[in-house]
Amino acid sequence: MEVTFHGVRGSIPAPGPETVRYGGNTSCVSVRSRAGKLFILDSGTGIIALGKSLIATEFGRGQGHAAILLSHAHWDHIQGFPFFAPIFVPGNRFAVFGPAKSSSMLEGMLEGQVNPNFSPLYTMRNLGATFELHPLHGDGEDRPTSWEEVQIEGSQNPHGHATCLAYRLTDCGRSVVYAPDAGYPESGPSEASLRLYQGADLLIHDATYTPEDRADRLSRGYSSFADAAMAAVRAQVRRLALFHYDQDYTDAQVDICYERCRVLLNDLGGSNIELIAAREGLTISL
Amino acid sequence: MKIHFWGVRGSFPVPGKSTQRYGGNTSCVEVRCANSDDPGAPRIILDAGTGLRRLGKEMMQGLFGEGKGEAHMLVSHTHWDHIQGLPFFSPLYHAGNKFHVYARQRDDTHLRTVFALQSDNPYFSVPFDAAGAEVGFTELTDDARFEIGPVKVRCTRLNHPWIAIAFRLDYEGTSVAYVTDTAPFRDILIEQKFIRQPPKPGDPLHPEDAAKLQAMRHGVVKLCEGADLVIYDTQFTPVEYAQKPHWGHSCPEDAIEIAREAGAKALMLFHHAPERTDDQIDSLLRQHRSEQERSGSGLIVHAAFEGMEVDIQRGGYVAVGKATPALEPNATGPHHDAQEPTWK
Repeated sequence: MEVTFHGVRGSIPAPGPETVRYGGNTSCVSVRSRAGKLFILDSGTGIIALGKSLIATEFGRGQGHAAILLSHAHWDHIQGFPFFAPIFVPGNRFAVFGPAKSSSMLEGMLEGQVNPNFSPLYTMRNLGATFELHPLHGDGEDRPTSWEEVQIEGSQNPHGHATCLAYRLTDCGRSVVYAPDAGYPESGPSEASLRLYQGADLLIHDATYTPEDRADRLSRGYSSFADAAMAAVRAQVRRLALFHYDQDYTDAQVDICYERCRVLLNDLGGSNIELIAAREGLTISL
Repeated sequence: MKIHFWGVRGSFPVPGKSTQRYGGNTSCVEVRCANSDDPGAPRIILDAGTGLRRLGKEMMQGLFGEGKGEAHMLVSHTHWDHIQGLPFFSPLYHAGNKFHVYARQRDDTHLRTVFALQSDNPYFSVPFDAAGAEVGFTELTDDARFEIGPVKVRCTRLNHPWIAIAFRLDYEGTSVAYVTDTAPFRDILIEQKFIRQPPKPGDPLHPEDAAKLQAMRHGVVKLCEGADLVIYDTQFTPVEYAQKPHWGHSCPEDAIEIAREAGAKALMLFHHAPERTDDQIDSLLRQHRSEQERSGSGLIVHAAFEGMEVDIQRGGYVAVGKATPALEPNATGPHHDAQEPTWK
């Protein structure tokens, strides 16, 4: 499996000189399975550049087929979708997974974004591509799900007053977990989420804040890098990628988060865990 | 009148190396009466793209941080790139602040509902009505005229999907027109119907559509008449426009034609395409500025960049400078909003 980061920022895109190294685009991560199938985790503004690069492939000829997995519908996780070039090419097909009780609720999330008040697209029906909707509960009651031979599992994490679906993709014995926007209670992740993370080759985890900033903004429902480190140690993952940085954090501040997290991981007994600070364009092979 | 550009980009925000000089934030322009020691001088904001976030931080350092601020927000239309900064506008979350939002009326939905949708479940975590500040809405007709304190405001309709409107602000003998988003007024009438296939070049216009476009163009020329500065949607190059005439954007050539006909003094290229690099904007600016200089039209061409401040003085003197960055990245820690939004 090959994992690539296209957008690593939380809440709102943050252009400017202070975010050039890690990148200012909002959440989007792609995963290529061993068989070459494409899985796109969230569609923040990072998906726009990914879409442009895909146009040079079968997606430019209307023969593309990919899965889009949405963690939740907050803007920073969907706002790139209306500008994702492959959706305009007739013939492309997308399997959209997302947290919803029904297909129509999942469709409603996407339709709301392209409503004519907000977008010149008016409705999803005006797009060239076709969409197959797969609502997930993430509460342990989903039937075993897979797409193109990759197993897909989900678990809901608390996120302020909302929830956010964390995903685990397993392909030929390797697994990547994507856990953005996780505002755990003091006790940390639920048993179900820890089971989802357990032994992952790569855990991409919300690290919006420093522990100090998180304490000031508890009700927003995000993790600090310390929450990410604790989850990684408890679930004994192989690699941890810090992800979803606050929009106001400069590159230098993210550097400091990374250094502090490394020290913390070692203190927690996780010195064997490889630590990565996600940045736009970074690819990790599992 | 002082104009400060906080976001100059169209469609979506564009972080990255190639947008560092002109900036990657979406549309947001602040207008302040030059005589700002006048306590009655209103604070006016044109559009609420992502540029609004930084403006909000600056505003929190003054009256808005004490919950005593009042501002007027004129919104050209509610496409994402013109409203997406609002949920991240700190002064909105401070009780006591007052905002007056003006935008075109909709046939079937109240404006407040449109704005509230953006902050509603499942898209955002703080509902609009729980934001704290007092927000009032004024629904405008296409040709509305009204006053904000000493500033006279006029509107006119633009050629854009779901319809946008332009604004002209007049204050003590100085004037600025804000014309975005709009297609030119010759090839296609863009209203509330989705246009699947644009007309081919040379396709004849329906006479009714042609008349509507003619009236719209006349309205825009009148709005820009003698303006000290015209800020205009110049997202496209002519080649791009030919491919996407139904997207509702213009080229610098179209803006120049209107500005010259209206006898405007200066033109600001604005709403830059997301894919346009800093170097490309440089060369577009060079080309159009020197063409106007050579032609002797007297029209001065500028290209908007984030942080740009324009000082318009009576008699039409327009000074353009780079404003002192309002907010340098803090070396010791991330920016904290002076007042924490209530996320409960």
